[in-house]
Amino acid sequence: MIDAMRPVAILFAVCLAGSAALAQNTPGPNLNAGATHADWPNYGGSSFSWRYSALNQINTTNVKKLLPAWIFQTGDYTENLQATPIVMNGVMYIITPRAQVFALDAATGRVIWHYKYPTARPGRPGSQAAFVQNRGVAVGAGKVFFGTNDNFVVALDEKTGLESWKVSVDDPKQCGCNITAAPLVVKDKVIVGGSGGDGAHRGYLTAFDTKTGHFAWRWYVIPGPGEKGNETWKGDSWKLGGGAPWMTGSYDPELNLVYWGTGNAGGDFNDTERFVGPGKNHDSNLYTASVVALDADTGKLRWYHQEVPDDEWDFDSAYECILMDRVVNGRMRKLLVHMNKSGLTFVLDRVTGEFMGVFSVPEVRTWISGVTEDGKLVGRREPQAGKVVNTCPSAAGAKSWNSMAYSPLTGYLYIPVNELCNDLTSADTPALEGRFHANGGFSFKLPPGRTTYSHLDAWDPITRKRIWSMPYKYVLLASVLATSGDLVFTGDPEGDFFALDARTGAKLWNYQTGAGNRGSAVSYSVNGRQFIATPTGWQQSITGTQTAGVFPDQTWRQGSTLVVFALPEDSK
Amino acid sequence: MRGLALLLLPALACAQSVPDVVARGEKIFNQTCATGYCHGSKGSAGGAPRLVARGFDQAYINTTVTRGLPGTAMPAFGGALDRRDLTAVVAYVATLNGITNPSVGVALGAGSAAPALSPNAERGRDLFSEATRSFGRCSTCHEVGGIGIQVATPISAVPADVQALRNLATPQVHTAVLDGESVPALIVSEGKRRTIVYDLTSAPPVLRSQDPGTVKITDGSNWKHSAFMASYNDSELAAILDYLRAAVHP
Repeated sequence: MIDAMRPVAILFAVCLAGSAALAQNTPGPNLNAGATHADWPNYGGSSFSWRYSALNQINTTNVKKLLPAWIFQTGDYTENLQATPIVMNGVMYIITPRAQVFALDAATGRVIWHYKYPTARPGRPGSQAAFVQNRGVAVGAGKVFFGTNDNFVVALDEKTGLESWKVSVDDPKQCGCNITAAPLVVKDKVIVGGSGGDGAHRGYLTAFDTKTGHFAWRWYVIPGPGEKGNETWKGDSWKLGGGAPWMTGSYDPELNLVYWGTGNAGGDFNDTERFVGPGKNHDSNLYTASVVALDADTGKLRWYHQEVPDDEWDFDSAYECILMDRVVNGRMRKLLVHMNKSGLTFVLDRVTGEFMGVFSVPEVRTWISGVTEDGKLVGRREPQAGKVVNTCPSAAGAKSWNSMAYSPLTGYLYIPVNELCNDLTSADTPALEGRFHANGGFSFKLPPGRTTYSHLDAWDPITRKRIWSMPYKYVLLASVLATSGDLVFTGDPEGDFFALDARTGAKLWNYQTGAGNRGSAVSYSVNGRQFIATPTGWQQSITGTQTAGVFPDQTWRQGSTLVVFALPEDSK
Repeated sequence: MRGLALLLLPALACAQSVPDVVARGEKIFNQTCATGYCHGSKGSAGGAPRLVARGFDQAYINTTVTRGLPGTAMPAFGGALDRRDLTAVVAYVATLNGITNPSVGVALGAGSAAPALSPNAERGRDLFSEATRSFGRCSTCHEVGGIGIQVATPISAVPADVQALRNLATPQVHTAVLDGESVPALIVSEGKRRTIVYDLTSAPPVLRSQDPGTVKITDGSNWKHSAFMASYNDSELAAILDYLRAAVHP
């Protein structure tokens, strides 16, 4: 899998950076603060979003023996399966894009209960949702929570699957928004983001009481008149400026802060209606394309860091916030590591929001010529009216929404990176509430001179060095799982689900699952037996269709099947 | 003679306005279908397939736009766009497929559209669902003119004035005790397996569903409709009433 020229260099890099990591970045007292154990309780594993399991029954020495223990077909093949399964006390909860929720015996796959959200009738909200996706449920307070295509948050009884409460977050007929992200349960609240980052709509996070569904707080991404930050919007553009935080946040219980990434400003590819000059190296269109820290009880903003001021490339900051404690310059720091869609990856102090460093992950980068040591963008290559401007990476992202993983054992991030470019065009269409407002378009182009268009990388976020890289011919759109068995798992669109050595990137195991992988694998254990579960089925909406379009000879198979692996009972 | 002339006039208007309908269809297409995630400018393909020169006939375009394509990201626009806009978009996409004179039927019926609202009623319509009011807007609980969440039963009688609206009697609001917690509630259903109520403690209302054995309902409540209207002043409420008089047809 590795380019002919690369192995020597990679081994060399591993030795150097590996020893450097051990010497300088001795993992702190919170080595396992973000690890999962028997359960997989949150979308990102723990609320630190590492997607890392402390289980090591399956490890580099025996992973070759891994076999399917059970498989589960949802029967809802409409939009495949991309959710992260949640596992609590031996029960797995999984949701399909049209919100069929299953509680399964996590050891056998036997159905405990099955809930089916009513399918929207043609012409009713939800039936016209363009983003028919669902990335997972949240479990807590005896309930299973999820968002819907018609923009409700629903709570089911964890034991019976019966509806407990249901509340409308906003009228989808008006805002054009819906919920695709898994909610985040924090103490007595369930917090949910929404889609609409590219729609004419004012994005927000909303928190509800877990027990009653009563409204708790709402934080608007875009400040209203009189609030700090509103002055970074031209005229009334703040009302429909987008920024929806469409993924799932993280939570640090010690600081009582929730962390969330926000969406891009709209219209995406033309800033004339929203940009307040002069110059571009200052915060603009706050708090879009930013990472924010909010008080978990009140939703009040504590700090923010804007990653792409005046975004014109559809470079959301909506992805996962990875919370880790690491030694930096001899001092233990509480960090937040976050990748923008552009592939710029920011290291922040998660107590104060202080900027501590940035590195750019993709190999092909033309949207900017560089980034300064203090995180300022240099040499912006922007869309232009009446012209086609080619930029890399594409609006699909150097990474898409699928999550990276972090292992405290190696100190590395495991990042699925795509190398696609796009031809950007700019339009000048006024914003219309609730309608898409990209204000321009993009079409994918393969970067010239390459034979592979993605890679799975290991990066050290402190030294900002790439440790190893496994090239792949097409795109990688499945999340990554790391385990303390020193393994890294992910899947590809051709249907292969595989394990790599977390320290070297060497491929140790591969299983053909029969359909494209765009889901998020998890690990858990029941009665001492470790399982690895991965959703399969090539999800079509948006990026799935688009990226398939640049590889016309490929047909990536759809489906909606959960494949669950374990070591054979007699070989543990 | 005069009758014939009158009949001919609309026909002449039709002949002249097919390009107008197509132009309007292109505008709606640009706002709705042409985004980078979807069909791209002039249907040249973006995230979704190219629509130019695909050999589509108009019936196929109409069905696909109205009903969507199940199993793909193509949504059904039958409810999202009104009939005239839908026809205009279909006509525009037809022209992208070499149909130079698409049938534009209902899109021509300019006179058949809903009667124009007075300026104050128009202001009322905007206030009814004004997004900056978050959950403090009427549309949090009422659906009128296709906008809003239908929590309350459809509005059948419009209060005479702002005072009457503020003092609106709400005998349908009861008191429900849910697991020992007393809440103002609209009863949705009382079945053998579940009792379902809208909990009106705060906006937005929460649809709560419980085992009947854990619910106790008593008549009456001290809940006040005015508490949910606090974001509006008298002039705004008067405009909203103007809108409701034009929009509500009991």
